Amino acid sequence: MQWLRDSWMKEGRGISKDAPKKQGIALFAEILLREWWEMVKLNLLFVLASLPLVTIPASLAAMASISVALVEDRNIYLARDFLAAFRRHLAAATVVGVVLGGTIALGAYAVVSYAAFANEDLMFAAPLAITLGATAFLCIFACHFLVLMVMRDLSYLQLVRLAALASLARPMPAIGALGLVAVLWLVHILFYPLSVFMPATVNFSLGMFAVTFAVHRAANDVLALPRASRAGLDADPRGPARNI
Amino acid sequence: MASISLKRLNKTYGTLTVVHDIDLEIADKEFIILVGPSGCGKSTTLRMIAGLEEISGGELRIGGDLVNEVPSKDRDIAMVFQNYALYPHMTVYKNMAFGLELRRAPRDHIDAQVKAAADVLDITHLLNRKPKALSGGQRQRVALGRAMVRNPAVFLLDEPLSNLDAKLRGSMRSEISKLHKRLSATFVYVTHDQVEAMTMADRIVVMRDGHIQQVDTPQNLYDRPVNLFVAGFIGAPQMNVLPAVIANRGDGFAAVFDGRELPLPGHYDKARIAPYADREVMLGLRPESLHELPPADVDQQHLAPFTATVDLVEPMGSEIHLNMTAGGQSLIARVSPRFKPAIGQDVRLTADMSNAQLFDRETERSILY
Repeated sequence: MQWLRDSWMKEGRGISKDAPKKQGIALFAEILLREWWEMVKLNLLFVLASLPLVTIPASLAAMASISVALVEDRNIYLARDFLAAFRRHLAAATVVGVVLGGTIALGAYAVVSYAAFANEDLMFAAPLAITLGATAFLCIFACHFLVLMVMRDLSYLQLVRLAALASLARPMPAIGALGLVAVLWLVHILFYPLSVFMPATVNFSLGMFAVTFAVHRAANDVLALPRASRAGLDADPRGPARNI
Repeated sequence: MASISLKRLNKTYGTLTVVHDIDLEIADKEFIILVGPSGCGKSTTLRMIAGLEEISGGELRIGGDLVNEVPSKDRDIAMVFQNYALYPHMTVYKNMAFGLELRRAPRDHIDAQVKAAADVLDITHLLNRKPKALSGGQRQRVALGRAMVRNPAVFLLDEPLSNLDAKLRGSMRSEISKLHKRLSATFVYVTHDQVEAMTMADRIVVMRDGHIQQVDTPQNLYDRPVNLFVAGFIGAPQMNVLPAVIANRGDGFAAVFDGRELPLPGHYDKARIAPYADREVMLGLRPESLHELPPADVDQQHLAPFTATVDLVEPMGSEIHLNMTAGGQSLIARVSPRFKPAIGQDVRLTADMSNAQLFDRETERSILY
């Protein structure tokens, strides 16, 4: 057991206060390496909290809230904070989940339908392209909306405005994150049954972390806009801004 | 008020007594350091104060209250250990908050306390990291922070700097001293490092074999050791101890060592020296009392020539330690780096007797104090 004790007790290299902070993919990898075990636990929490199915939106919001804390390098008490965020966002996230989920599902259905029609008649390529673009934008918008919702207590209207603005300003990181989510699930499907534990351990939390990491900067940017351009923020009926 | 009072405190393990009826009064907000060689009972004494060791006998009072039977958690103390004792699976924040969480403190209070302590110790950037990533110094700061967040009346520190390298130890020493001034709490600190003791303490407790040898300010311990053990333990290089005979010279006394007559200062209490006339005593001379040139700021009457043979020259940068032999006795002198005698050379030094010490040969107690 000596080796085990040594591996726990051995002094590290230390963390310099003035060390330049990593950026982009390097920062993503650093957080991932540091917090991988928290992510596994977060994934399990999400799966458990989503078992009633109707709680999936609230679980997603709670997971996004934890992911924001990871990205911002804030301390978390995983179970406690997850539950707190879950309770706090239960109603709002359910409403948003139904509306945005339904809209995206409708968009996906339209895409599939127009694709089928376009296969027979090229005239349908135009509505296919439009619905494809709209649905993709809706997905990007949903990512920003979810992260903004857990970062600040704002009214739905304000969230819609800011999420739309952020989606237009910095869409590429969100597209990249959604691509990673797609890859995660593709890997799960391709390597099944070897990858049977992926959804239970990493797929949801890693996907949400990637999305949060990708849209965090845009979310911060729009939240930092002058108050004048965010009419009504001061009169937020849901109280002041807060984290987790 | 967090004064600490130890009255005839002792600790026994079966038939073995490791702390013998010690009496000690520690004032509120005092920084007191227990120092002594390994096995002298200093850590056991600290652990008894902490409540980690059962008290075999005597009284322990903290803030005037008898706490012999009071559990550790109710003594309003915080302890910092040599090996940091951080929980490896918890982040720095959680390590620091853990004590307050056990006490079911409000979350806002915990958060404020942790952040305030982190700010003082300059570890805010480490709050979300695990101990595995931290260096020794950073771990020690976290251990200190964990003690600080509880805002205890008494801090107990058990060799907290022993695992750090020399450079870091130096900087942490000054940080702990600053922390003591800032927190205005009582600090009880255990170390075997006399430099730590001399530089940080308001008072030092020198222990040996479970007994307190002397309790005094660092300077008094250095200048007025009550026995040979304290004289030898405090000071590096340690005091030269030479056998000498007290000789009566007119209205004063001199110590005669190997035919060299070394005059004892006139301000010494002659009544205490007189009984030792013509008897052999132990003469204590600090290494810095042997000069290569007669010092200008010392009364000429206190100076005496002193010849010795150089065995070893140890350059220390700012000074040179000369290991020498005189009258069959080994001794060390701290001299200027410009003075470079050859090994085997007889050097003529000047002994400054103004702070010489005299000890009884049998009891090893100081004759002067």
